Amino acid sequence: MSILISAVGFGLVTAAVTALAAVGFTLQVGISNVFNFSYGAVMITGTYIGYAVNSAGGGLAAACLAGAAAGAVLSALANRLLFVRFIGRGVNRFGMLIVCLQFAVIVQNLLQAIAGDTFFTYNLSAEPPIGFLKSVDFILDPTQVTIIILAVVVIAGLTLLLEMTRLGRAMRATAGNSSLARACGIRTARIIDITWLISGGLCGLAGVIFGYSVGAFQSSSGTDFLTVVFAATMLGGLGRPLGAALGALVIGIAMSVLAVYIQSDMTQVAALGILILIILFRPRGLFGSAVSTKELAT
Amino acid sequence: MTYYITTILVYLGIDVLAIWGLNVQYGLCGVYNFGFILFQASGAYTAAILTLGPSSGNGGYQSYFFGASLPFPLPILVAGVVAAIIGVIFGLLTRRVGEDYLAVLTFVLAVVAILVVSAAVSFLNGPAGLSSVPQPLTSVLHVSLIAYSWLYVVFVALVCLLAYFSLRLLARAPLGRVMRAVRENEKAAASVGKNVGGLRIFALAYGGALAGISGALLVLFISTWSPGSWEYAETLTAFSAIIVGGTGNLYGAALGAFVVQILIFELPRFLPQVSAANLVGSLQWIVIGVLTLGFMWWRPQGLLPERKRSYDISWPVRQRTVRPIGTTPAGGVEMERE
Repeated sequence: MSILISAVGFGLVTAAVTALAAVGFTLQVGISNVFNFSYGAVMITGTYIGYAVNSAGGGLAAACLAGAAAGAVLSALANRLLFVRFIGRGVNRFGMLIVCLQFAVIVQNLLQAIAGDTFFTYNLSAEPPIGFLKSVDFILDPTQVTIIILAVVVIAGLTLLLEMTRLGRAMRATAGNSSLARACGIRTARIIDITWLISGGLCGLAGVIFGYSVGAFQSSSGTDFLTVVFAATMLGGLGRPLGAALGALVIGIAMSVLAVYIQSDMTQVAALGILILIILFRPRGLFGSAVSTKELAT
Repeated sequence: MTYYITTILVYLGIDVLAIWGLNVQYGLCGVYNFGFILFQASGAYTAAILTLGPSSGNGGYQSYFFGASLPFPLPILVAGVVAAIIGVIFGLLTRRVGEDYLAVLTFVLAVVAILVVSAAVSFLNGPAGLSSVPQPLTSVLHVSLIAYSWLYVVFVALVCLLAYFSLRLLARAPLGRVMRAVRENEKAAASVGKNVGGLRIFALAYGGALAGISGALLVLFISTWSPGSWEYAETLTAFSAIIVGGTGNLYGAALGAFVVQILIFELPRFLPQVSAANLVGSLQWIVIGVLTLGFMWWRPQGLLPERKRSYDISWPVRQRTVRPIGTTPAGGVEMERE
């Protein structure tokens, strides 16, 4: 039993990373209708930036801020300079997948050329597990607890932003029907830029806490992790931030608990199995989808 | 030196064959298959376990299921069949999803396959992969290494030639025309009663068989095959080759295979090491990425664009016109058909 509880605990950490990444990913699909395969590469860029801050002696907060900023800038620039322009040229959605993947490959290999072809590990201060958690067999250290709280706070904040503010309304309007939004006086180009900044920030942030939560990473780890992010996003329904967060919770805990029973390197297979089943049988996600499959297909 | 040349020629033939396979799927029929490398991998694994002999017979240093040592051309043919069957399975799985999900689904399937093969060691020897696959007919031919590699070049060239004629036949046949119709407008093709799902399955199976055969030829030449040989990036390179060369054009696909797979990927391997090997590797990928994006931006039709087939519209076609009832025939009317 205790092993199950600790598995759930670790699952929460995985879920936190996945949730932040999936929420950003689903925002991008919603606003630009781009299935951004370069998301993992941007994420791992955040991890590397966080690593640089971490090695320079910076704390978790500094690393997160730096990683988020890097992710935000890189995503917004990639969208402005690459994705929007290729879409404007009439490249179809499959072509955009190739554009995104090639961009991912370029970013990944730049990172590898600069940082070298080795695995990196964050310096973690060896703090003892928090006392009250220890009593219920949750063996999480303070960093992991901070990660979980951080993810919850950020996602709650984002939900408030989307639901309560003018900016959030404009973002949702643009995602729903951009030409109608433009006709209503919303500066959609700017809203799209802001959305990419926010989602890119989430992506970079997810990258940093990914670095904190996994043992070791290299330049291709981001794209490997992206498949788990896909699974969470599809489970929650494309274009639905809260759905993506819930999907991440399910996937994270499922992977972690499964690791108790099956070979640990098969857990990702389980997550991807869920993804395949979702694509085949419930393409709108478990909770329905803001972006329907039909819209995506056209 | 000669060995380098023959190796590069063999690689070229194998790459051209694989890219033609992708060209059937993507260039001809417009199937967005991002798990393409899976076909080549399945062909390679099939050929390997069918030549290595029973798993228990090799001192147990590598484990795999089944295992046989079939005579020479059989492993290659079976590899093609296995890859074609995987193509049919892909086609059936993807029958119910739209084009974009097709790409994501096939991508995920390829990732899952590599994870499963790596994790299940007794299946195909896990991350270490299969090695010391015997080269075909070495015991029969008794020739030097160089002569043998030249023979292999000739053999690969013959297979390519065979594939070329079959593909040219396909492209000109009504079947190829329908496949292009599916590529251009899936809904329109479906609306005139074409079996879009069936055509996709055919394209996946046919292109898959070519890729599987290319994988078999590759593994029989280089003797090893492991999960590192078929990461999703390889699929991306294949697409780069098609985009650079020219989508839907056989010569273009071959040229793209030469430019991307040989000029950029294989040749630097034979250059003297200038610096850290990994740096060169990274630079190759960056060059490919920039090249592909550049082509998509400035020349999306590729180096050798697909020749649009059209019926000669300048030739007047004599047509029977429908006579309104009650009028006298006024003779044939010369009409130009569009």
